[in-house]
Amino acid sequence: MLPLVECRNVGKEFRYPAQATSLREWFIRTVRRRPVRRLAPTFRLSAFDLTVGRGSTVALIGANGSGKSTVLRLIAGIYIPSEGEIRTRGRIAAVVELGMGLHPELTGSENIHLYGTILGMSRSETRARFSEIVDFAGIGDFIHVPLKYYSSGMLSRLAFSIAMATDPDILLLDEALAVGDQAFRERCNERIAERLNGGAAVILVSHDLDVVRRHASEVIWLEAGRIRMRGEANEVVDAYLASVSGAEPVADPDATSSAPGPQREYLAGA
Amino acid sequence: MATVDNVRVLTPRSRGRMSDVWRFRDLYRTLVARDLAVKYHSSVLGFVWTLLNPLLMLAVLTAVFTHVIRVPIEHYWAFLLSGYFVWNCAQQCLSSATYVLHQHASLRRSASFPSEILLLSAATAKHFEFAIEIGITLVALVIFHHKGVPGSLLVLPVLFALQFFLVVGLMSPIAVLSVLFRDVQHALPLVILALFYVSPVFYSTDLVPESIRGLYMLNPFAGLLSLYHAVLFEGRFPSAGLLGWVAIFALSSYGVGYAIFRRFKSLCVEVA
Repeated sequence: MLPLVECRNVGKEFRYPAQATSLREWFIRTVRRRPVRRLAPTFRLSAFDLTVGRGSTVALIGANGSGKSTVLRLIAGIYIPSEGEIRTRGRIAAVVELGMGLHPELTGSENIHLYGTILGMSRSETRARFSEIVDFAGIGDFIHVPLKYYSSGMLSRLAFSIAMATDPDILLLDEALAVGDQAFRERCNERIAERLNGGAAVILVSHDLDVVRRHASEVIWLEAGRIRMRGEANEVVDAYLASVSGAEPVADPDATSSAPGPQREYLAGA
Repeated sequence: MATVDNVRVLTPRSRGRMSDVWRFRDLYRTLVARDLAVKYHSSVLGFVWTLLNPLLMLAVLTAVFTHVIRVPIEHYWAFLLSGYFVWNCAQQCLSSATYVLHQHASLRRSASFPSEILLLSAATAKHFEFAIEIGITLVALVIFHHKGVPGSLLVLPVLFALQFFLVVGLMSPIAVLSVLFRDVQHALPLVILALFYVSPVFYSTDLVPESIRGLYMLNPFAGLLSLYHAVLFEGRFPSAGLLGWVAIFALSSYGVGYAIFRRFKSLCVEVA
């Protein structure tokens, strides 16, 4: 069966413009014969390969800034790759941005209609799934209130519920953005498992290494835009942990979040 | 199991398919409705502002140019009415191009959809308001000015379409440039102000000296407004030459503008 996601030798380069050079600055630097610094640091993701089949979960781990979110955005089609090729089959839902660009001035229900169509649902489809989205998000009467009065938990619950209502074939999930409560997380995990059984694929960015161990069929460890290691979950996670604890006692936040706890699901805490 | 048919291939040369815009037509409709809804979301008078605002300006301009500076045009109110809303709509569209991509930066970082829809929907919402304004203008002109229905009104849909193409064509490069250079946000109001004076909004093209008329007509809005004046104010069919010139300009600006936009839109997602 054809895989849902195929990345072949994908690269992406970002050049961050140095602090916008004004004409004045340019003039001063030219007079002083100090050349204008054209480009500030560059981030480069390179030689990224990935194949994800139906029903499987791939997890991306690595320190902050290693390129995990970039990979998700490339697969989502938000960024265009600088090299290589990305092939996806089916409907994609991505939870990669806090609040997912929902509009603060509009009410919950207006946002559902707007965001549903952005994720590729038709207007009638969105209307049909409306009450289901509201129930799943569990925001009740707040659905008629502008989003700016929502708590951050309600906001992300709504965003996530809309994304799930599209019945995505490919779900791109940045765990750090899911801040719903315990009950909501349990509902989400159930729903994700359902989608997986139905043949969808999940690509997960998570700092909760227990979740990763439990669910990922493949784990990719990214470091500064390169694949440091990939393979079976336990093996990669162990190597990652060893490198993190061996390197610095201060450790990066990634390591601490993997503290042993009760059974965890996709979204920590379930 | 959901049927999987939409295969997408992304390479460095991907610019998105033209058909994507059609595929996202429901998004386009939602955005237009939202633009209209948000604009007056928490204002008491709501949609009335759309009319109140230009009507007030019209009253001031009519008073000034018939009593203080006397523009030698008979039925000046009717003349002003047939061009003012066109200018107002075009000007608002152009300035909206400077912020529409910034405004939706977070949206574009969280989902993949053709950004041209943002421009198209902003322009459409403005033209929707324009259509209402022009409808009221028509009623006023038919009753008080022409005292009948001139046949030239048949050309109106053509002018409307040309205006839309021209405006969207100009909006596209402005939108891209204002993401890459904030200077555009400061420069554009000046350009718009200058355009107002070198376009026949409060005076007619006939008043422009013959010797520089050719140069003057290079301004696309001069052509467009002259067409509206002929059709709405004078109630005659415009000359084919003028119509042709505006059509060529509108369509080529749309073509060029759209090409520029497609070339740079992915860069804008990363920068904005």
